[in-house]
Amino acid sequence: MGSVKIKNMTKTFGDFTALHDINLDIEEGEFFALLGPSGCGKTTTMRCIAGFENPTSGSIYIGNREVEKIPANRRNCGMVFQSYALFPHMNVFENVAYSLNIKQLNASNPIKQMGIYARLLTKRFGKYPDDLKKKVMEILEYVELENHAERLTSELSGGQQQRVALARALVMEPAVLLMDEPLSNLDQKLRHSMRNTIRTIQQDLGITTIFVTHDQEEAMSMADRVAVMDKGQIVQIGTPTELYSNPSTPFIANFVGTSNILKGTVEGEENGFTVVKGEGFLLRSSTKAKKKEVDVIIRPEHVKVEAADSVIDHATTNVIEGTVIMSTYLGSIVRYDVQVGSYQLVVDTTYSSGANIFEEGKKVKLTVDHERVLLI
Amino acid sequence: MNRIKNSFNGLTVVKVLIYAFFGLFMLLPLLSVFVVSFTGEPTNLLGSLTDPAIFNSTLEKFKNISLDNYKRIFSGKGYFSALKNSLALAFTVTIIIILVCIPLAYGIARTKMPFKKTISALCMIPLIVPTFISAYAFIIMFGRAGWVTQIYNALGGEGMLLNPYSMAGVVAVQVFFFFPYALWPLVAAFKVSDISLEEASQNLGAKNWFTFIFVTFPLALPGVISSALLIFTVSFSDFGSPIVLAPKELNLLVVEAYREISGFFNWGGAAILTVVMVIVAAFFFYLQHLYTKGKNYGSVSGKPKQQKLIENKLLTRVLSGYSLFVVLIPLLAMLSVALQSVATTWGKDLLPSGYTLNHYKTIFSTSMGNIQNSIMLATGALVLSVIIATFVSYFVVRQNSAKLDFIASIPLVVPGIAFGIALIQTFNTMPLQLTGTAVLLIIAYTIRRLPYMVRSTMGSMRAIKQDIEEAAVNLGATPLTAAITIVGPLMLPGIAAGSVLVFITVIKEASVSILLAPPEWAPMSLAIFQNILRAEYYSAAAMSVVLVVLVLVLQGIANIIGKKQRL
Ligand SMILES: Nc1ncnc2c1ncn2[C@@H]1O[C@H](COP(=O)(O)OP(=O)(O)OP(=O)(O)O)[C@@H](O)[C@H]1O
Ligand SMILES: [Mg+2]
Repeated sequence: MGSVKIKNMTKTFGDFTALHDINLDIEEGEFFALLGPSGCGKTTTMRCIAGFENPTSGSIYIGNREVEKIPANRRNCGMVFQSYALFPHMNVFENVAYSLNIKQLNASNPIKQMGIYARLLTKRFGKYPDDLKKKVMEILEYVELENHAERLTSELSGGQQQRVALARALVMEPAVLLMDEPLSNLDQKLRHSMRNTIRTIQQDLGITTIFVTHDQEEAMSMADRVAVMDKGQIVQIGTPTELYSNPSTPFIANFVGTSNILKGTVEGEENGFTVVKGEGFLLRSSTKAKKKEVDVIIRPEHVKVEAADSVIDHATTNVIEGTVIMSTYLGSIVRYDVQVGSYQLVVDTTYSSGANIFEEGKKVKLTVDHERVLLI
Repeated sequence: MNRIKNSFNGLTVVKVLIYAFFGLFMLLPLLSVFVVSFTGEPTNLLGSLTDPAIFNSTLEKFKNISLDNYKRIFSGKGYFSALKNSLALAFTVTIIIILVCIPLAYGIARTKMPFKKTISALCMIPLIVPTFISAYAFIIMFGRAGWVTQIYNALGGEGMLLNPYSMAGVVAVQVFFFFPYALWPLVAAFKVSDISLEEASQNLGAKNWFTFIFVTFPLALPGVISSALLIFTVSFSDFGSPIVLAPKELNLLVVEAYREISGFFNWGGAAILTVVMVIVAAFFFYLQHLYTKGKNYGSVSGKPKQQKLIENKLLTRVLSGYSLFVVLIPLLAMLSVALQSVATTWGKDLLPSGYTLNHYKTIFSTSMGNIQNSIMLATGALVLSVIIATFVSYFVVRQNSAKLDFIASIPLVVPGIAFGIALIQTFNTMPLQLTGTAVLLIIAYTIRRLPYMVRSTMGSMRAIKQDIEEAAVNLGATPLTAAITIVGPLMLPGIAAGSVLVFITVIKEASVSILLAPPEWAPMSLAIFQNILRAEYYSAAAMSVVLVVLVLVLQGIANIIGKKQRL
């Protein structure tokens, strides 16, 4: 097991900068997600850690050891590839046993090596030692594939292949587990159950895990901490709740959950609240503004919708007037699109049976608490 | 592409070795033939690098560079008529084959003609038989004492129906044994061309033949042209049928070049003929390449629309009868060889006067050596080409080495006889005297057949995704171990299929064998050739049967492997 540290890593391909000054500090046993849109450099980061790419500059430490001079085959990073990259000519057992065979191969004399090559190359020759067999079967049981040991990987379902790939990486007891979009090839349902499986196994083994995804829900629900990347740079690192409640940029606010983003100008301060004015709204926020022109972030679920004639105390909460453009009933919540000035705000309200839904065209009052108005 | 970091430097060494191999045994010989075509006398380029004395004499020769040889080809009768005749031969064969193949291809692609399966299967025969055996089979059939001639005379004909020892004979052999090269592309072209257009034409009331001439045929035209260019190159480069059949007064480039080198040791003459051959063959190959590039007429993209096959009784019967006639001739030719191999004497009457297995006994007792030689030489070429092709595909696929890809496909455009002459000239003196050794023969076979092997291994290499290799490395394997345990086994089917192909083509190879094989390493093809020259037809026949059977068996193996490969 080990921590992973990345210092000032940059990676260029020709004159294209794929990674720019990446700094990461991942603790031992942590489940760490790299989240970002397609092409932002997640895979490249992971490939640098695994040793398939050389960083152009900067350094990587695994378990406090600088790994620049360690080739990929000795880094002891278990990697689960997006395509699984299972060996098609080997069955499930042989796939999982591969790293153990290699380990033995490296520790044997030339004569024994021949025997190991024999069992790597053909099914008939070369007996597997009992301890190796036991270890493979244990890990197969762990991922509930003990009954499929003799199957060819092409005869497995997507989810099963996924678990073989996981077992194959885990059996070598890697210092770090690297997973590159491991769930993207699975259907919706399976993806949910595999999330749990992976998270449980990770917790169980306490293995440091770096998990790449472009699905924010996946990252937020599984990881201890998330690094959000964009265009080769890390934009913010934090726990899921930190990212959600304190996004450092509008990009993150939008990428991590849905947000209403309004342009505003800071007018001044009043009773400890910052006053922002924009097209069609005047809001007070408990955030201290660092500049004059700000982005105002409001999460849909932090807004309440009231009838236009209701009386609300302006001192405790913000009130904005608007017109309902559309209401969508989504089961437990009702989503409104409300026109405020030139903006269309998205508002989610919990729906309790019997409550009335505001119709389209209706004038309403929206309320947002001061501490729910974020200025960045 | 240093994706796999710290890749063993051994790979770089291998790459250098492969370049050196091609440089020494392919580029240098071609270059030195080119030089000799100007100097008119042997020029030891390799020696010039190692020995100052040779270097000086080479410099001397360079001073005598002249265009005399080239003038000869355009003014003198001999060479010019050889070029003219060769072009005429290739041109005639091409036209006839296309004409012969169009109805055949149409029948297979578009109709429900009777015996379609049988006809398609029989089309394989010409591909299995080397042309010098086909040429010899035509002598058995159409020669002065041939059975066809006898039937012809019995029916009241005068002389021979077709004199095999003539331009017409060469044309006939090439037509009946090269037509499958054009047939399958044409079948593909007819299958793919847009049927809805034809239907439209028919809906407008057009007659079938009208639709064919003005709609179907023009749509298949790209396929026709590309096949024609291919046939032209194949016919132009063929050595087997001309060397057996061409009479003295018929000058053909391949025969002329062979005679210059093996009869007169005329280096300058052989060199100029070689250069001309390579240029012509390369030009037509290039034309074909250029033409097919981007056209992709043969490959079906997406699902082809299910066509309705024509069932018209009269049309299908006529087509079927015609097709059977075309495919029957190669079959009869091979049966004639088989019959001769078991005949006591054959020639006086329509059928042999008696039957015996003595010819087989003879070849298995006296000529076993040739069979062994063939197998050993083919094995040698196979091993060498497996090794080279595997690495070449690795460099081309994984390291995007376009240069190597190009170099490895050069042998496709060099006629066998030309390449043989180039090798003889380059390696008949120190410092690397290899002419007359099995080594040079194996190298020649290897280089000539390498493109097949490379195509095969490259296909399987492409099918192995990079991440599978990386997964192995990630699991602790060194790149070399990953290559042995993962890449190797996954490439095996491709290697096996390519190997059989190399083996078969080496056993069939005539030009290089005849030119380069020393007596103690004479392979079957050379033995057959010499038997034919010595008029020992019965042994030649028996040996030919053995060769064809060997090829058939190997082809069978290849087909099985091919099926397995497509899991
Ligand atoms: N070997 C390479 N050569 C050149 N450019 C590369 C190479 N590998 C990656 N890139 C570029 O670097 C950028 C980051 O690629 P990377 O694969 O890391 O993206 P990603 O975040 O994993 O995206 P995705 O979610 O689509 O997998 C991309 O613009 C890509 O085109
Ligand atoms: Mg990626």
